[in-house]
Amino acid sequence: MSFAVRLLGITKRFGSVTALDRVDLEVEQGAIHALVGENGAGKTTLMRVLYGALHADEGALELDGNAVRFNSSREAIAAGVGMVSQHYGIIPELTCLQNLILGAEGGPVLNGKVAEARAQQLAERMGFSFDWNADAATLSPASAQKLEILKLLWREARIMILDEPTAMLSPADSDALFESLEQLAKDGATIILVTHRLPEVLDHCSRVTVLRGGKRVDEKLVSTTNGPELAKMIVGEAIERYESEDCPSLGDAVLDLQSLTAKGARGDLALKEVCLNLKSGEMLGVAGVDGSGQRELFEVIAGLIKPISGSLQIVGNDGNNLGSWDRIEKGLRLIPEDRHAQGVVEEWSLDENAALGLQRLEPFAQKNLVDTDARKQMAGKIAERFKTKHGGLNLAMASLSGGNQQRFVAARSLCLNPKLILAFQPARGLDIKGTQQVYEGIREACRNGAAALIVSFDLDELLEQCDRIVAMNHGKLYEPQAGQSKDRDAIGRLMVGAQ
Amino acid sequence: MLNLIELTILFSTPLILCAMGGFTSERGGVINIGLEGMMLMAACVGALVSARFGAVGELVAGIVAATVMSLLHWLMTQKYNLDHVISGMAINAIAAGGTNFLYLKLSDPAHGSNLPHLPITLFAITGIALPFILWLYSKRTRGGLWLMAVGSDPDKARLMGLQPSNVRLWGLLATGLFTGIAGVELVAYTGVFTDNMTSGRGYIALAALIIGGWRPIPAFIACVVFGFFSALRLQLQGTPLFGAELPPQIWASLPYLVTIVALAGLLGKNRTPAGLGRP
Amino acid sequence: MKWRLIALIVGALAILAGAVLIAHASPLASLQSLFHGSLGTPVAIAGTLKETTPLLICGLAVFIALRAGLFNIGVEGQLLVGACTCGVVATKFHGITGMVLGVICGMIAGTLWALPAALIKAYRNGHEVITTIMLNNIAMLITSMLVSGPLKDKAQSDTATPYVDANTRLPWVYSNPPVQINLALVLGVLLCLGMAYWLKKTVGGYELQAVGANRTAARFAGISPQKVTMVAMSISGALGGLAGAVQVLAYEGRFYDGFSPGYGFDALGVALLAGGNALLVLPSSLLFGILSKGGTALQIDGIPKGITTVVLGLLILIAAAIRFRQVTKDA
Repeated sequence: MSFAVRLLGITKRFGSVTALDRVDLEVEQGAIHALVGENGAGKTTLMRVLYGALHADEGALELDGNAVRFNSSREAIAAGVGMVSQHYGIIPELTCLQNLILGAEGGPVLNGKVAEARAQQLAERMGFSFDWNADAATLSPASAQKLEILKLLWREARIMILDEPTAMLSPADSDALFESLEQLAKDGATIILVTHRLPEVLDHCSRVTVLRGGKRVDEKLVSTTNGPELAKMIVGEAIERYESEDCPSLGDAVLDLQSLTAKGARGDLALKEVCLNLKSGEMLGVAGVDGSGQRELFEVIAGLIKPISGSLQIVGNDGNNLGSWDRIEKGLRLIPEDRHAQGVVEEWSLDENAALGLQRLEPFAQKNLVDTDARKQMAGKIAERFKTKHGGLNLAMASLSGGNQQRFVAARSLCLNPKLILAFQPARGLDIKGTQQVYEGIREACRNGAAALIVSFDLDELLEQCDRIVAMNHGKLYEPQAGQSKDRDAIGRLMVGAQ
Repeated sequence: MLNLIELTILFSTPLILCAMGGFTSERGGVINIGLEGMMLMAACVGALVSARFGAVGELVAGIVAATVMSLLHWLMTQKYNLDHVISGMAINAIAAGGTNFLYLKLSDPAHGSNLPHLPITLFAITGIALPFILWLYSKRTRGGLWLMAVGSDPDKARLMGLQPSNVRLWGLLATGLFTGIAGVELVAYTGVFTDNMTSGRGYIALAALIIGGWRPIPAFIACVVFGFFSALRLQLQGTPLFGAELPPQIWASLPYLVTIVALAGLLGKNRTPAGLGRP
Repeated sequence: MKWRLIALIVGALAILAGAVLIAHASPLASLQSLFHGSLGTPVAIAGTLKETTPLLICGLAVFIALRAGLFNIGVEGQLLVGACTCGVVATKFHGITGMVLGVICGMIAGTLWALPAALIKAYRNGHEVITTIMLNNIAMLITSMLVSGPLKDKAQSDTATPYVDANTRLPWVYSNPPVQINLALVLGVLLCLGMAYWLKKTVGGYELQAVGANRTAARFAGISPQKVTMVAMSISGALGGLAGAVQVLAYEGRFYDGFSPGYGFDALGVALLAGGNALLVLPSSLLFGILSKGGTALQIDGIPKGITTVVLGLLILIAAAIRFRQVTKDA
């Protein structure tokens, strides 16, 4: 048994965060090896080390028994390592053939016929077919994925890293993909599959390595393990059962979704017949791995995406009649995922940012006139709420650290009688104390009649803070069975699709 | 009295050359509304140098002048991250004022319009050949593929190992070359440099490029059509058309109107390179 | 902030001096000539203020669009259609009615002229720079055609519309010849103050600037970028039309071929120099006015007028480079 790849003792730190802590990974020649874990577990980081895109602080790398050191992706590619990343690297405006050869043209002059012949050969070997001169924009996600694999073959990669390759694929397309991967493995390639989806692991991989929190939890032969066991390893053992402090008294429905279906940015179905009911007083956690549809759920509720079908009721009003500002007026408040791009204007002062998202409401404005004094007061209150550290309300938002910006944005969302608080990773970038404060603030708002929907990739956080939890996977929303709404195992299984 | 075909070639040549200069810039992702200024600068400097260094000197000087302007545009947009539009407008302003100044102060009235120039046919042949050369270049060479890649998606191109600002440097050097030739052609045809002699050709060339979907051959065709209508206008001036005399300004407005229609997406799909204006 | 502006002015003048040397003239003398020609005598000052008026209003037009993240290069065309329309309307109606109608029609014409670009940008995402430049050219051609044809005043030899009656002209608020200050300039100043107030103190202004600063964050804040684009371009077009109308009613009395020496283009420089503060459009337009008027004086000295355009172009580049340095330092 020879190892195609050995990563030994890999440690990588980003500032004070240890993303990888002495991780070992040994991949057999010709195997399809799964690397699993939640968001933030370190899977992608580890693969980027292998791909030469990152330098490890400690540890060693071996290919086919020889010690190697990559200073750049170029060197890794030259050594036969190839990676297909989650967000496809296909340029839609170029043709399929052009996409295939970009960066590996082989010389200043392109010989179309020769290239096409070779491409066709590679494609046939895999059972693919492409119209080489068609624009890549016409490719379906499944076909784009296939083209990405061909890119690896074109560059004669023998070690292929596939990062979440089935994220955008239908079950049928996923099956087809795995047929191709098995063919590749038979031909001698070594494949590392980074994934959350346990069924894939159980059906197609020979070995699986589990990462959690930057550490390697275990490595197993797939034939000796099962879904529930893996899910437990991924999501961790519960040291104590999490229980909410008191049972919240629930009021009327604040949010009601029925069979809501919506398209994502790529035109695919990002939400599939989602049903959800949220009553005032509740804090609902939405768990799931990144890309399961949480973002689209967030934006549909916020009024930024129009659903294709289904119904949505916010605070008793039909969503069809409510634009995004109307919803804010009815009590919707947002803590967006990306504060920099979606939550604040960096060049503006804290004072000016305080009104963003609330600008037409009193006291920020009186009948279309901005009340600068009142705004300043509110800004002060917002900054004070979670102890945002700042040098002055008139300084630019950019002068605040990320964590303090988050404190500010979170505090802002609790202003002016919120009825529905939509939060996407509300404690992002905050330490334990800051996280507690923010959640306590949300809880207090809920005690006063609001409801909160909180999306997070950190299941522990949700378990600790929310009253009940649902899971999203592949655009569908799953509610745990009665009595299991805070059961870590049950939710973990729903998240990764293991039943 | 030149016939219609000769007139068409005459009017389209500077447009074609300029549009090709626009292609190498914009297809690589650099918005370039400064074509007008680059062409103008080339015409002026060329005319000034021609008196002392002859026809070849005129061409070389014109190309150098236009290239200085295009490199300035590259510097401001790629290294200083200046908005491409602002940079282009500033270049037009500098060229407009600068040529006015330079020509009035440095030209030698004694020479008048007896300046040596290269024969027009040379320019015309370049104008006809260039679009096809560029078309081949973009389809058959690595450099051409790189240009298209960084213009379509500079971030993904970076992932594949390309460096957008370097690719764009070459693109803008080519822009300087082609707009330089265009400017010198103008002077060669008219004989002298006159204030603001480009009179909007740079914008029309840009319009042709847009109508052509940022592709060399369709842009070439658009330029020829514009040139044809200019020639037609000249021929028909004064003679009634369809019973009523269409004022020359209506003819002249056509290219602009068509561009707007194209941008509204009414002329087939919008082919704006997705990476236009992105670092 | 202020010292940077002064540094820019000094830098520009330094370049001017250098060019002057090429022209075999004395820089110091030329500097004197520039200032004398623009600010040295009451006549000069009056002329400078006259030049400043259209620059101010056009500058505001470009400015408001910039604040919304839009480039309205079409102010030149909007000015022309506004002026042409006003020139016609103000001859059909007289007195105050004529003035008011002329201004209103001019503004409507300007807005209509900006509308295609606004719609294409808001709903098709077609870059407004190209569409507005195209509309400029069409405006220049159409107005030229109209004023040479159906609108031409038979009584004049110039290609122009008939003169507007004396009582339909915008009055002088201060008239002690040769020093005269027109209501138009006052109007411009008031507009500037009004715009500054609107941007700082109204919800509409807040939302407009939000879209210009961070379109995505604005969407999350419940603002509609399409609506803001339409509003901003419409106001911008209206101001451009206003500049033209006012130019006719205050200074020219009629519309003629070649009406604008490029006020709309200079306005881009005016707005860029003003940065983020509407009130700075006032000194910025004054600077451009000085350079314009002073440039004429330099011409008499044998220095071509073009030098001022070069300076202004360089100013734009330098200003942007400085702002870039600023931003990268803060980040």
